[in-house]
Amino acid sequence: MAGQDDPVQREIHQDWANREYIEVITSSIKKIADFLNSFDMSCRSRLATLNEKLTALERRIEYIEARVTKGETLT
Amino acid sequence: MPLVKRNIEPRHLCHTVLPRAIKNELECVTNVSLANVIRQLSSLSKYAEDLFGELFNEAHSFSFRVNSLQERVDRLSISVTQLDPKEEELSLQDITMRKAFRSSTIQDQQLFARQSLPIPLQETFDLCEQPPPLNILTPYRDDGKEGLKFYTNPSYFFDLWREKMLQDTEDKRKEKRKQKLQDPRMYDQVYRYLDLPGQVRGNERTLETEKIPRAPHDRKKEWQKLALGAELAEDDSEEALKHREANGSAAYHDRSGAPNYLDGMDGPFSLAALPYSQMNELLNRPGDRMYTRPHDPPPPPPMHHLGDINPPSMISSSSGFSDSRPQSPAQTHGFNSNTPPPPPPPLPPPPPPLPSMSGFGPRGTPPPPIPPLPVQQQPPAIPPPPAPLQIAPGVLHPAPPPVAPPLHVSSPARLQQVLDRGPTPGQSDETVLPPPPPPPPLPFPGVRSSSPCPPGPPAVPSFLSGAMASPLSHSGGKKHSASLPPISDARSVLLEAIRKGIQLRKVEEQREQEAAKHERVGNDVATILSRRIAVEYSDSEDESEFDEGDWME
Repeated sequence: MAGQDDPVQREIHQDWANREYIEVITSSIKKIADFLNSFDMSCRSRLATLNEKLTALERRIEYIEARVTKGETLT
Repeated sequence: MPLVKRNIEPRHLCHTVLPRAIKNELECVTNVSLANVIRQLSSLSKYAEDLFGELFNEAHSFSFRVNSLQERVDRLSISVTQLDPKEEELSLQDITMRKAFRSSTIQDQQLFARQSLPIPLQETFDLCEQPPPLNILTPYRDDGKEGLKFYTNPSYFFDLWREKMLQDTEDKRKEKRKQKLQDPRMYDQVYRYLDLPGQVRGNERTLETEKIPRAPHDRKKEWQKLALGAELAEDDSEEALKHREANGSAAYHDRSGAPNYLDGMDGPFSLAALPYSQMNELLNRPGDRMYTRPHDPPPPPPMHHLGDINPPSMISSSSGFSDSRPQSPAQTHGFNSNTPPPPPPPLPPPPPPLPSMSGFGPRGTPPPPIPPLPVQQQPPAIPPPPAPLQIAPGVLHPAPPPVAPPLHVSSPARLQQVLDRGPTPGQSDETVLPPPPPPPPLPFPGVRSSSPCPPGPPAVPSFLSGAMASPLSHSGGKKHSASLPPISDARSVLLEAIRKGIQLRKVEEQREQEAAKHERVGNDVATILSRRIAVEYSDSEDESEFDEGDWME
């Protein structure tokens, strides 16, 4: 079986091996791409949450500052 | 269909054409595929770097905000610990004088504009075909628009929306003004005494642009009416309508406007008094300040009204006076000019009438110098006034209290003259008026101004001079001094102004509106929207404050 049609079979076997190798590589690339997309999405959602918290904090601090400090007079 | 943000470049690994002269095609395909895999990896790494860069930029901005927040918290903690046991002074001044707290509401704007396009999408966009270069035809256009705008204009819808918003704000503002004019609060001041629902329509027009061109027009018509004499009664009703429609809301906001529709009001009241009132109105319009009403006896109740309402005092006073007598417009008109002294008016009315009545005697001396000066203002008005003026003294004496309100008004020119003379005769006059607090003296100038027209009522001028010297010199002097020269100039240019007035007004209105719109607003969506919403939902108080500002000016 190993010696049947050596050149062609060998070539085909080699081709299959190559293709499997390439397939592994391309699937890895797809996994990397998927990972990057999901990482990007989760990162953006966390940053958005962080942004909201920061905004709320800033407003509260502004309010507290207005309450505590003497304030400017209109003149 | 979702828009792909980042596209890994070699889409298909082995969809290439193989060269012919190759023996081992499978190996060739394998090699080509591997090469494309490497290219795919390179584009993947490039997009990954871009992706992480975006995330990093966002996180970096957050870090700045967090740091600033940290500093503020530290400062606040320190100040709070210091604050606790210390003084809690709350002076009344502090409560009123401190600036109100305004939170900084920063809104995100222009989120999906060309500038905020992410880089990968910008690259994808750059791959697209460019539109035809129609902009090279722009120099040859007459209307100044860009050639490409007719083919494709990315800002078309935004411009459309912005114009619509600005137009809506203007419409809402006008509606608010109309509503304000029809407000029951204005009703008290205006309509109760005027009792003319028809005037609302006239007053609904916009004030700003129609003030100046209308003044000379009205004056000339007034003089013509005076000259006509017997036809006054009929013409008044017509003119009242015309004036109302012409001056529109100016009646409320401009003293010159008020007399117009007051004239209409006065028409039905009396023939003889009309010319004088109109004349007074005319005289007062240029200076638009003080009216002198020695003869007019407005009933005391109107004074109360006037005293109550400051900014609307102009209208209310006019309304109150018109209700009472022919010369009420002048009175109210003059009274309106005294917006600063409105609160005092209720008090002064009782004392001033008495002294004013007593002052009639000594007035004889001041009147001679005064008449020459007012003559400049009222050359045509003098003949008719004497007739009503003769009536006025008779009316005045029995009703001294009403005199006080009209006294507030005096023509600016006369005021100036009176002020000039004020110091000298004022002293003697002041002796006659023992306790004139500043507000009461104000009426006297008004009386004095009327005196030039009728040589008859003499007493007031002396009082006026004294009164005016004291309180009015500082307040009215500035404005009224300028009125003397313009009065004669306005007369000479009256006809031209009448002819051009209407056209000028329209063109100026349009130009002002367009220029104002385009200057004020850029691409700021937030300001446009906020302005519109403010106009729509703001309380009438805001508008009244704005309008009151106009009046005070």
